[in-house]
This record gives sequence, structure tokens and C-alpha cells, in this order.
Amino acid sequence: MITCKEASYLASKKLDKKLTWRENLNFKLHIMICRICRRYAMELKKFHHTMQKAGESSLSLLPESVKLSRQSRERIKQTIDKVLHQTE
Amino acid sequence: MKHEMSAPDQWLQLHGDILYRYGVTRVRDSEVAEDLVQETLLAALKAKKSYAGQSSEQTWLIGILKHKIIDYFRKTSRDKTQEYDEGFTGGEVDYFDQQGNWKIDFSPWSKPDKTMEQEQFMMTLQDCISRLPPKMAQLFVLREIDGMNTEEICELMSISTLNNFWVMLSRVRVKLRHCLDINWINQ
Repeated sequence: MITCKEASYLASKKLDKKLTWRENLNFKLHIMICRICRRYAMELKKFHHTMQKAGESSLSLLPESVKLSRQSRERIKQTIDKVLHQTE
Repeated sequence: MKHEMSAPDQWLQLHGDILYRYGVTRVRDSEVAEDLVQETLLAALKAKKSYAGQSSEQTWLIGILKHKIIDYFRKTSRDKTQEYDEGFTGGEVDYFDQQGNWKIDFSPWSKPDKTMEQEQFMMTLQDCISRLPPKMAQLFVLREIDGMNTEEICELMSISTLNNFWVMLSRVRVKLRHCLDINWINQ
């Protein structure tokens, strides 16, 4: 029987890659008898899907209150204006 | 649909904050993110003739920013391979005993549904991510949020074997899930 540590590894890998039949069997047997790993695997899956969704709407990871600071905005503006000026 | 391009001197005003938020979530350093916004806009100025209007201006700019972020990661992973090893060794010791049994439990979790909940959730997540060693945070964001493929990440972050990659990813997921358990889910 595999340990919880190994099961947690397989629960994670399973989200990204098809497990080998042996890995899969070991994992299934383990979570049949282990409540924490069963829950962990389920929770990890939910977490994974939430992250994927967040990634798809890549703009919503931070609230709109997070902005460029006034100084850096000014600095960037000056740099850009300079370049625009040169090319005109 | 064809998209129109706005005047370049408006880009900062229109897209600066969005580019900044996108960047800072990934590089996790506000100064670096600010520089990347500037580099992106400068690169966009040079490349503006090649903008064909197939995607929105914002998507186009984010596309340029993505390249800048990858360049930045490539540079830092060359500089700091060591820090990264440190960040990953022994990180999971707290979560398992010597027999490999869990030392922690997880509470069941309902997805954040309402907008306000989602916003709070994202703030907590950002907070949890920023407590990770930088390389671990980078791995998580590239894989889990940006969905970059495994081989690309290994190449970009100089991870030598796929097996190492799976181990690292598993560790970062345990860490984050636990952090969320403590800081958000049980609120």
C-alpha cells in the first residue's frame, strides 16, 4: 500500500497527466481506505478547476484597485512620449 | 471582426493598469512588473505596423507582455538556479510524518460564487502565492493559471527531469491548498 505522501503526489499528477495503470490502481486502493487523501484529491481537483477558470479570464486575478503607481506611470509616460517624439 | 488601433500615446492610459496587473501576478515584483509594462509598450510602438487587427488591442499588448515575462523568467532562472533548489527541498516536511501520513487535514470547500467572494478569494490566493519561494510561485502560476505545457516550463525554469517537475508541482499544490484552508476557507 502506498503512503499518503505518495497518494498526494498521484492526486496532483493525475490532474495533468494520465496515470499508468499501476499508479492508478495504487491510488484508487489508497483513497478507498483513506479519508484524508480522498478529501484531498477532491479538494485539489476543485482548486485546479478554479485556477484554470481564473487563468482563462486572465484579467480578474487581481482587483481593479491594483494599479501602476503614479510615479511609475509618469516615468513610463515620459519614456513613451520621448520615443514618439523621435519618430515623428 | 477587425479591431481598430487607438493612438499609441493613449495605450498607457487605456491598458497600463491591466498590463501591470497581468505582469505582477506572474513576476510577483511590482518594480519588475512596471518595467515590463514599459518594455511592452515600447516594443508595441516598434511593432505597431504588424498589428493586423485580428485580436483586440489589449489582447495584442498582453501577447507582447507574455513574451517579455518569459524572457524575464529565462534570465532569472539562469541567475538563480541555487535559490530555486533551496526553495524546493524539504518544503513538504511539515505536512507528512516520517511514515508518510498526513499531519494536516483539509476542510471541504465550496467554490467562491459571488463576485465579492471571488475577489476575496483571489486576494487570499495572491497572499498565499507570495509567501511561497519565488520559483515555486512561478511554477504554480505558469502551470496552473497560464496552463503552459510541462516541457516548456522545465526548459524555462531549468528543471532537469519531468519527475522533478511532478514532485515540485505536487508540493506547491499541497502548500497552497493548506494556506487557503487556513486563510480563506474557514473564515
